[in-house]
Amino acid sequence: MHKTSLSRTLIFSNLANKVINKKSALTLFSTSLLTLGLTACLPNEKQDAKVVINKNPYPSTYQALPAQNTLLTNATILTGTGERLDDADILLVNGKVMQVGNDLASENANVIDMTGKWITPGIIDVHSHLGVYPNPQVESHSDGNEMTSPNTSEVWSEHSVWPQDPAFQAARAGGVTSLQILPGSANLFGGRGVTLRNVPSHTMQGMKFADAPYGLKMACGENPKRVYGSRKVSPSTRMGNVAGYRTAWLAATEYKREWDKYDSDYSAGKNPQAPTRDLELDTLMGVLEGEILIHNHCYKAEEMAVMIDLSNEFNYHSGTFHHAIEAYKIADLLAANGNCAAMWPDWWGFKMEAFDMVEENAAIVDAVKNSCAVVHSDSSTTIQRLNQEAAKVMYRANENGFALKEEDAIKWITANAAKSLGISEHVGSLVAGKNADVVVWNTNPFSVYAQAEQVFIDGAKVYDRFDDKYQAQSDFLLGQNLDNLLDKQVENQVTKASTTPSTK
Amino acid sequence: MKHTHLLTSLRCALFGAFAVTTSQVQAESIAITNATVYTVAEQGILSQATVVIDDGKIIAVYSKDEVPKSLSADTLIDAKGRILTPGFIASQNLLGLVEVGAVSATRDGSDKKADLTFDASLAFNPKSSLIAYARKGGITSNLVMPHGGDKVFTGQSFIVNLSGEFDSVISQTNAVIVSLGSSRKGSRALKLQTLANELEDAQKSLAKAEKAEAKNKKAKAKDKKEAKEPSRSQKVLYALLAGEKPLLAYADRATDILALLKLKQQYKLDLVLVGASDAVLVSDEIAKANVTVMMSAIDNLPSSFDSLHNSLANVAKLTKAGVKVIISNSGESHNINQLRFDAGVAIANGLAETTALAAITANVADTFNLNSGRIVVGKNADLVLWSNDPFEISTKVDAMWINGQAMSLKSRQDVLRERYTTDSNMPRAYTK
Repeated sequence: MHKTSLSRTLIFSNLANKVINKKSALTLFSTSLLTLGLTACLPNEKQDAKVVINKNPYPSTYQALPAQNTLLTNATILTGTGERLDDADILLVNGKVMQVGNDLASENANVIDMTGKWITPGIIDVHSHLGVYPNPQVESHSDGNEMTSPNTSEVWSEHSVWPQDPAFQAARAGGVTSLQILPGSANLFGGRGVTLRNVPSHTMQGMKFADAPYGLKMACGENPKRVYGSRKVSPSTRMGNVAGYRTAWLAATEYKREWDKYDSDYSAGKNPQAPTRDLELDTLMGVLEGEILIHNHCYKAEEMAVMIDLSNEFNYHSGTFHHAIEAYKIADLLAANGNCAAMWPDWWGFKMEAFDMVEENAAIVDAVKNSCAVVHSDSSTTIQRLNQEAAKVMYRANENGFALKEEDAIKWITANAAKSLGISEHVGSLVAGKNADVVVWNTNPFSVYAQAEQVFIDGAKVYDRFDDKYQAQSDFLLGQNLDNLLDKQVENQVTKASTTPSTK
Repeated sequence: MKHTHLLTSLRCALFGAFAVTTSQVQAESIAITNATVYTVAEQGILSQATVVIDDGKIIAVYSKDEVPKSLSADTLIDAKGRILTPGFIASQNLLGLVEVGAVSATRDGSDKKADLTFDASLAFNPKSSLIAYARKGGITSNLVMPHGGDKVFTGQSFIVNLSGEFDSVISQTNAVIVSLGSSRKGSRALKLQTLANELEDAQKSLAKAEKAEAKNKKAKAKDKKEAKEPSRSQKVLYALLAGEKPLLAYADRATDILALLKLKQQYKLDLVLVGASDAVLVSDEIAKANVTVMMSAIDNLPSSFDSLHNSLANVAKLTKAGVKVIISNSGESHNINQLRFDAGVAIANGLAETTALAAITANVADTFNLNSGRIVVGKNADLVLWSNDPFEISTKVDAMWINGQAMSLKSRQDVLRERYTTDSNMPRAYTK
């Protein structure tokens, strides 16, 4: 049931090579010792069928939308790798980026002149609650926080996603092509997050990013202690929070040991009793195995430092710190430990842990070697303008001694976001072989007047500002404002028919 | 200390000697020359213009051709063609009433017992850390709108400037706030009924009082009765009926808006619609009633069944229909400095630049009788000099004056950033 140490290393290669390699080596060593010992002294008996945990019981059914090969020419291209190409072209073939450069040619591609336009990778939001806290914001749709226990690692946000949330369409009009939907932050362990492709679908599975690892939402600080403290249940303090994490990881460590033993006994030809499945511990074990990435709501410098030590205590990687308002205070530590920090440009003051905001936070984090600065939204409003969120950081930083350019700042909402989600092999940059997730902007995307004009996911156009045909609408909004008078309905039908070319 | 500086470098003027002299001299005169002046008035946009301020007021606005040969002012500032606008006026927030949202002891914007007499200006904190940060977005004054209690009337608004001084409150209890529309408990109908009943009762009691007074006048001295003192609430309602105070009405659904327009007509109210997500459905009616709408420029999601027609294009659509719009960052207090970006988004979605500027300056001033919001002789010298296009993210405030006083543009956030980006071999706490 466990992936090999090789795949474990692959999944984490972006985040913490050093830590994981060490861990894998240790695991290999102990497993082989155990196997030798068991085969040597126990007789074989007839084996029952092996109990294997299905790790993908709600698989993606996503299919790319109909696409044709496309050559976008003469644009300013920000590749997401820190490069800016002027008057450049990009060729999208079979859903992938085939080539980026100057004066490209292709015989069988649809060529579109993009003179004056800017092209970036599809925008990625690492922190969203679309679908789990959708619009309209009514009780019936409030499905993002399982506030019934400080540890709800057993819940999966994907089981709450309402794919008809109109905000998915609005985010797509803002160039968002992939996004992680996380549970809320009421609990120490809020449950699994899921990464989606931002395509219209009437099922969650139809949006699910097939190759993305799961995330585990954790939360530091004020929220868990307030929610449970007010019920006179632990945690009611920050030290209670940490005791809660440690208790959970201890149990997960034991659980993993049981499954490892079962696997090795079985491999040794024995017929061991499989451990009892536990959904909560399944998720935590996934983290210990490096298959599930931590996404930790954690604002404050001192708490992030404790969370890093916690991860070392239990031998997993502490992943990405979300809403990391004070990341700038520990930028060195984060880079050294391979953590991403996902930040707003300027939200502050709604809680004490959000009081020490500086607008240059992401820039300060980004300035350290091997850093991973991400700008996120956590909002159905700002997810529509993550380009402007990044712009605010860039310009405020440049007013205060930094010299950031568009090609640097775009990484915070593309390549670095992909790294945080463990999907950078596929998306986040415009490099040959990557998925063709592309946004065409009317102007410099770091302008307040910037608008996404066309959005492509896997080479297929999913949004066009000027073509109603490529503007999806949620079931919820469909038919909300129909004409009540029959005469008017008929009149509109006639007008529509006369302006739409006949398909017969 | 009257002497004329001829400064060649603006930077020097703003960050050096100039800042020092203004802090020492109360009512010094300043001439800002060679500016692109967005007057938000009949003069429109003036290039290479000069604005003279003295004693806290704008005393002259000269177009390129009108600039006198010798300008006498304590300080001369060459704007080098940059844009000078009236200071922006934010609205619909709790600035100075909330320091940290989740820290209940720092929240003074609401009270269960609050009613229409609730005067939250008494709680306004000019030393709030939010104020200096807001100035960085070009905000020079602000309409604070408390949330009151759970009654239909939630209290009264007040206006402050962002000087951070103890005399910041410009006008107390300047408008009455009502909250209509959907809520989790009860019916919107009862809210409308309550409002209508209160107005009707007030009108009746006012008529009765007037009748009694008239009778009293005719009566002989010994028969004269002492006029009954109206209650505090009645006085507020009378002010509404006299059109002395605007009624700020939160309402989103078109039916609520239409009901309010009817009440406005019936009682001659000075009505301002707040929120107004679905106002586009009845934009002609709103324009005809000459009612100002105060709304967000960026709320474009159907956040409730009352706001299914939210759209980034709504401000432009309403304006086109002839409605006067005030753009506010709804509900936000800590980041009201982003008002200019919201206006920029409205521009990107079809609103004319000059209309967008009026929506965060003159329209607010006109609605609430503020002597600011335009660059016109006699107005308060609340001015902002911008490094470039005021709505653009790459632009910053280069200089700001409130009542003619040059303001600091440093906030607590700047000091924190400096601490953590300055090299030191001592713990950060020693860097101040």
